[in-house]
Amino acid sequence: MSFRDWYRADRLPTIYCAGCGNGTVINCALHAVDTLGWRWEDTIFVSGIGCSSRAPGYIRTDSLHTTHGRALAFATGIKLARPELHVVVFTGDGDLAAIGGNHFIHACRRNVDMTVICMNNWIYGMTGGQGSPTTPRGAITTTTPYGSGEGVFDLSALAVAAGANHVARWTSYHVKELTNAIDAGLRTPGFSLIEVLTQCPTAYGRRNKLREVSDTIEYLKTHAILLQRYNRLVAEGKPVPEDMFTVGEFVRRNRPAMGVPP
Amino acid sequence: MKLAIDSSRCKGCNLCMLVCPYRIFKEGKEQNERGIILPELDRPERCPNCRLQKLYGRTLCGLCQMICPDQAIRWDDEAKNERQKVEVEF
Amino acid sequence: MSRVEFMQGNTACAEGALAAGCGFFAGYPITPSTEVAEHMAAKLPKRKGVFVQMEDEIASIAAVIGASWTGARAMTATSGPGFSLMMENLGYAVMTETPCVVVNIQRGGPSTGQPTLGAQGDMLQCRFGSHGDYSIIALSPSSVQEMFELTAKAFSLSERYRVPAFLMGDEIIGHMRERLTIPDSVEVAARRRLEPGTLPYTAGEDGIPGFPTFGQGYGVHVTGLTHDERGYPAATNPRLHEKLVMRLVHKVESARKEMADYVVTNPGAEQVFISYGAPARSVFQLLHDRPGEEIGHLRLRVVWPFPEFALGEFPDAKTFLVPEMNLGQVAREIQRHTDVPVIPVPRLGGDLHPPAMLAKALEASR
Repeated sequence: MSFRDWYRADRLPTIYCAGCGNGTVINCALHAVDTLGWRWEDTIFVSGIGCSSRAPGYIRTDSLHTTHGRALAFATGIKLARPELHVVVFTGDGDLAAIGGNHFIHACRRNVDMTVICMNNWIYGMTGGQGSPTTPRGAITTTTPYGSGEGVFDLSALAVAAGANHVARWTSYHVKELTNAIDAGLRTPGFSLIEVLTQCPTAYGRRNKLREVSDTIEYLKTHAILLQRYNRLVAEGKPVPEDMFTVGEFVRRNRPAMGVPP
Repeated sequence: MKLAIDSSRCKGCNLCMLVCPYRIFKEGKEQNERGIILPELDRPERCPNCRLQKLYGRTLCGLCQMICPDQAIRWDDEAKNERQKVEVEF
Repeated sequence: MSRVEFMQGNTACAEGALAAGCGFFAGYPITPSTEVAEHMAAKLPKRKGVFVQMEDEIASIAAVIGASWTGARAMTATSGPGFSLMMENLGYAVMTETPCVVVNIQRGGPSTGQPTLGAQGDMLQCRFGSHGDYSIIALSPSSVQEMFELTAKAFSLSERYRVPAFLMGDEIIGHMRERLTIPDSVEVAARRRLEPGTLPYTAGEDGIPGFPTFGQGYGVHVTGLTHDERGYPAATNPRLHEKLVMRLVHKVESARKEMADYVVTNPGAEQVFISYGAPARSVFQLLHDRPGEEIGHLRLRVVWPFPEFALGEFPDAKTFLVPEMNLGQVAREIQRHTDVPVIPVPRLGGDLHPPAMLAKALEASR
């Protein structure tokens, strides 16, 4: 079986815009699930609302497309009621960090055994490009027409602080690394967050001088700095290039978890 | 094996062009019936996955397929005795 | 052998749920319903069930719906403010046809209101609180025994009709202690399984599709979006949406007679009290105090879907008096179905109607 066999072929093509990174993230997630040998009958994909959350509708497994921000609470119910099922959650930055922020930190705290893949494209794509909790300062969105003046959530740092067992960040450009990170998340008992920085050429890119798909890909490629390298630079007291974001595995630990199959 | 772009799924974002280390994709010129300009293939026999995945029994590289957000790239079996033009570069 | 206990209403509710095979409870502490959660927290783990205290009521009902899709009989309990928070996901449960039981031990509102006193102010909220058109099932207990029985019945109806069922109790019944007889076993309708080869949202004549439990290879997509019979989103198809919503409403409303559960006293009476929940007890007292008079009493145990045919049990009725601990929420519904004058007897503030108040209303109506 290949990851392509996990798709509902009758539902493709997706509703995503041309060049959207969400499809890439689904590929990587399904590839990781497939190579791990999980059966589709025992795997449940859960999501909230938004572009990212349409993902489970394209996957042939049982899937629950829920209300905005609440995917983790629904997933908690599924996992605790039937720990032998594998639960994977697709979510976005608005879904996870804004309306679902409370459920997010509490799911990390409970350390429920599930893997959460957050497609962070810095924007609310489905509603047409409004500012989200991860919109960078100064970025233009329809609700921040003069540049975003709000602070930015670091989702990975938040998950580490809240107690998740595995946290990693990659981008939709780094497909191999992302697949490996998701694989590690699936294997880790307890809560795992994989934050994926993703291009949104339609709602974000075109307002922020990243009009072409290749522009954001270039940005993701050149501004990602491996966590180890970042730490080395800091330890050596060397300057860290500005505007860089760290990628890699932030934490992998074995705190007591809920919903782990016996 | 033969690389094929599914014209019913491709949205013409050309992400495959950006990642292919062998540059077998190049920008297309003509719109298809859905109004989308599919990338064209430039000497796809240079792709190791096309040539060698049967031999190795696994996917080699496969970056274009993984990054394709529209699941439009696949490898088909070639028809028996299908003629192939192979250009050897020196 | 059934056993007899002396028990609080909320505990009886939890016992009723356990007897009905409830295997999952998610909740959040809120007065005056907390005892339900406390009792479930103590009892469920010993029965291989799951109790989880969520971060809020939104998450509680979400977890309940998630658990229900794995086949568990799932429930939550709350009161006014928490009930308001649950509204969005209750609409989701209606749209996805998820069986679940929500216990609302009503307290005085609006807002934080009177946490420790009873009310019936959420009767219309449970019926109409979420956005869009839909129908649900609501039961209203008047005693500790009924807290037990109707909780079990709520599970039965919810599983059978694939719709959220509400146990609309109130603080008075919830915190009252009475004699409770717990039977050896309680019969609960089983969720009908989806026949293999049938589309997940193809419904028969009764409008209720079979249930494709997660993890059994159905590969079903469940969404709150308007969906077709495959379960796939089809939110821009006007006629499909109409058909779906009509089915969701029809499957409940067309079963009004099957679900109806009411008690008729003195059907020949001209003056008839219609009550549900705690105020029924004031009517009992009035009838007890005036044994010679023929005063009718229609006590609803199932309030929604409203059994309008029950009004016909009183062919000689000249007035319907409706004591409620709200400003006449169900009285308005009764008025819709009859030409007989309907007189609301509202009581706000958290204490029950004194029988003298009902007597006065009775005299005034003559």
